[in-house]
Amino acid sequence: MSANDTPHDLSRRHLLGAGLGAAAASALPLRAALAQSGELVVGAAPPITGVFAFAGVGLHQGLGDYCEWRNATKGGVAGRKLRYVGEDSAYKMDQAMAVFKKIMGAHKPPVFYGDSTAWAKAAAKEVSQLGTTMTSSPSFASDLADPKNVPFYFMAGPTYTAMGEILLEYIHRTSRGATKPALAIVYSDTEFGRDPIAGIKAKAQALQIPVVQEIVTKPGAVDVSAEVAKLRRAKPDFVIFHGYVLAPIPEFIKQMREAGMATTPMGTIWSMDLTTVNAMGAAAPGWMGVMPYRYSYDTQDAPTMQAIKDYAAKVRPDMKYVPLFYTHGWLVGMIFAEVMERTLKAGKPLTGPNMKAALESIKDWDTGGVTGLLVNLQGHQIASGRIYAYNADTKLMEPASGWIRTA
Amino acid sequence: MRIGDFRASYAHDEALWPTRVQRTGLALLALALALFPFAANGYVVGLACLVGIHCIAAAGLNIMTGYTGLISLGHAAFMGVGCYTAAWFAQRGLPFFVTLPLAGLFAAAIGIVVGLPSLRIKGLYLAVATLATQFLLVYVFREWDSVTGGVRGVNVPNASLFGFELGNDHRMYYLIVPVAALMLVAGRNLFRTRVGRAFIAIRDKDISAEVLGIELLHYKLAAFAIGSFYAGVAGALLGYFYRAMTPEYFTLQLSVFYLAAIIVGGLGSMLGTILGAVFMTLVPELLRGGVAFVAQWAPRATEILSPIQQVVFGLLIMGFLVFEPHGLLEIWRRVRRLFHLWPFRA
Repeated sequence: MSANDTPHDLSRRHLLGAGLGAAAASALPLRAALAQSGELVVGAAPPITGVFAFAGVGLHQGLGDYCEWRNATKGGVAGRKLRYVGEDSAYKMDQAMAVFKKIMGAHKPPVFYGDSTAWAKAAAKEVSQLGTTMTSSPSFASDLADPKNVPFYFMAGPTYTAMGEILLEYIHRTSRGATKPALAIVYSDTEFGRDPIAGIKAKAQALQIPVVQEIVTKPGAVDVSAEVAKLRRAKPDFVIFHGYVLAPIPEFIKQMREAGMATTPMGTIWSMDLTTVNAMGAAAPGWMGVMPYRYSYDTQDAPTMQAIKDYAAKVRPDMKYVPLFYTHGWLVGMIFAEVMERTLKAGKPLTGPNMKAALESIKDWDTGGVTGLLVNLQGHQIASGRIYAYNADTKLMEPASGWIRTA
Repeated sequence: MRIGDFRASYAHDEALWPTRVQRTGLALLALALALFPFAANGYVVGLACLVGIHCIAAAGLNIMTGYTGLISLGHAAFMGVGCYTAAWFAQRGLPFFVTLPLAGLFAAAIGIVVGLPSLRIKGLYLAVATLATQFLLVYVFREWDSVTGGVRGVNVPNASLFGFELGNDHRMYYLIVPVAALMLVAGRNLFRTRVGRAFIAIRDKDISAEVLGIELLHYKLAAFAIGSFYAGVAGALLGYFYRAMTPEYFTLQLSVFYLAAIIVGGLGSMLGTILGAVFMTLVPELLRGGVAFVAQWAPRATEILSPIQQVVFGLLIMGFLVFEPHGLLEIWRRVRRLFHLWPFRA
């Protein structure tokens, strides 16, 4: 080693030592003792970075803020404070599972929020084996709303299939005349995109709505001219886009309009946030879709939405608009708290089976306006939503229907 | 200072680990690995399992790319073949000690087919051909519903040994780590044989190797088969580890992850493979651990520091490539030389 190398080696050694020290210290259950003495830990692996980061930051903030709000306003759950412990999953299954195992090992949380369908499926067996934890995630995959096979998982909204059914119910209810409007379905070639397609087609058949075209694209497809040509030939009255957040929906709408089509484009939850719709630009007017929750600016007769808005304004003054992801995280927190409260009030320990029973006892539960209808969670999903449409004048998503419940 | 390593017999000369220090070190390492799950929590044991799986997969890629010079961007897809093969057979009641070799063999068979163009093309052209395989196989995983479960994926039954279920990470550790050790030792041994040396000759100059009597097609296909076998076994272990798998796991990103692991660790070395797999698996965890540590006192730090941690990880990889192009292996060798020659300068 030359003398010149010494500073580099020292620096490297220091850096390595500092990194290892910090990591080792973080792995220690520093607050485990506190948790045992009364705190209820809400564990989470939200995708703060990675391809789902657009939503993950809001999910993380919403769930974390709900815990703080609950502690401040209601003293926690059954007299025990909530403590949120969330680490970034980067929307990678390996990382999400590592975070899950780490938080489970260090804090033994009775509730845990994951990041994806893949995580929910991979963790399901372990969660069942442990029998200690109720889980949820941003996934609305249809086969996860299954109390028998995935007993300790719920979703704070309708499944993707149920979302499709709500859209079809709206089309059915608003159609006039003897001929039913024609429907096309455009979806991404992903697990997310394909999830509800069979269910949507079955529901369309039941409602006698003809599916005249079905198109599969890559998730972020750019050139959609061939697909638009197919739609042009099929002449659908409505197109349901699913499995996307933004692209290629604006391009589809733009080209459909250029082709003179009067088709109404519709979407599902993850392409319905106001910031996403505003990002569609000229394609936004006419856009509509299904939302399980109220938008954060819709606070009339919705005390929880007002509370969300007020709390976000208080603790996050730079947040000008509360995204639906934040609302989703907040609602997940509400359900976690409700499940734990019901279990503890019944004098039972917070085990998976007890919390499952508590979850399934939630019937006609008032979310304070986050959802438009009273909530039933027997099926481990909130099978209701409302159609919202974009108003180009107000630049807001506004209700286009009443609240619709499926199943 | 170690002052001599005299080899007085052929057996000694051929030994995999010729010195007593090496053998003692390895025995201690084996003991430490065997006792590790008793001292570590589920999270750390889970990470160790993941490192073991990544070591096997990266070793396979190193055999193909590092030792034979055949660049592959389809390694994740070969893992997928192994994972789905093991899942399919495990669902039909076959035990893991049968499904693991079967997973490897199926992946090897696919590897041989994919390797066929390698006689005519190499370098970037071969990389593109394997890239096509990556997409093709992932397409098959998504579409072949009856075998792979389509986009919804498959559930993999717990691995079990004579009725004893390896149903958690601590138990899986005792499957994954021995298999990883076995395959890494086999990999190291391979390059002391005619086959392994033929691989290296092909990597260094394939025309010269052919002039020396090495059948290029035969050995290139063998490299693909062995590398894919490793990937298949790793994929099978991954399936048993997570017990559920979707096609979205076996992305190009995963293939690139393994490529990065062997480059960062050191091409053409089993030790480099281990170092690379450990680096690529644990460094993001360490960085995330640092963020979590800070977040205990500043909860908002997670939102700010999480993206930064990814940047830091990227910079670390770039730093390695710039300042230590021979990978972690070279750093390891320098450290070893330092101890060997101490108190003299390495």
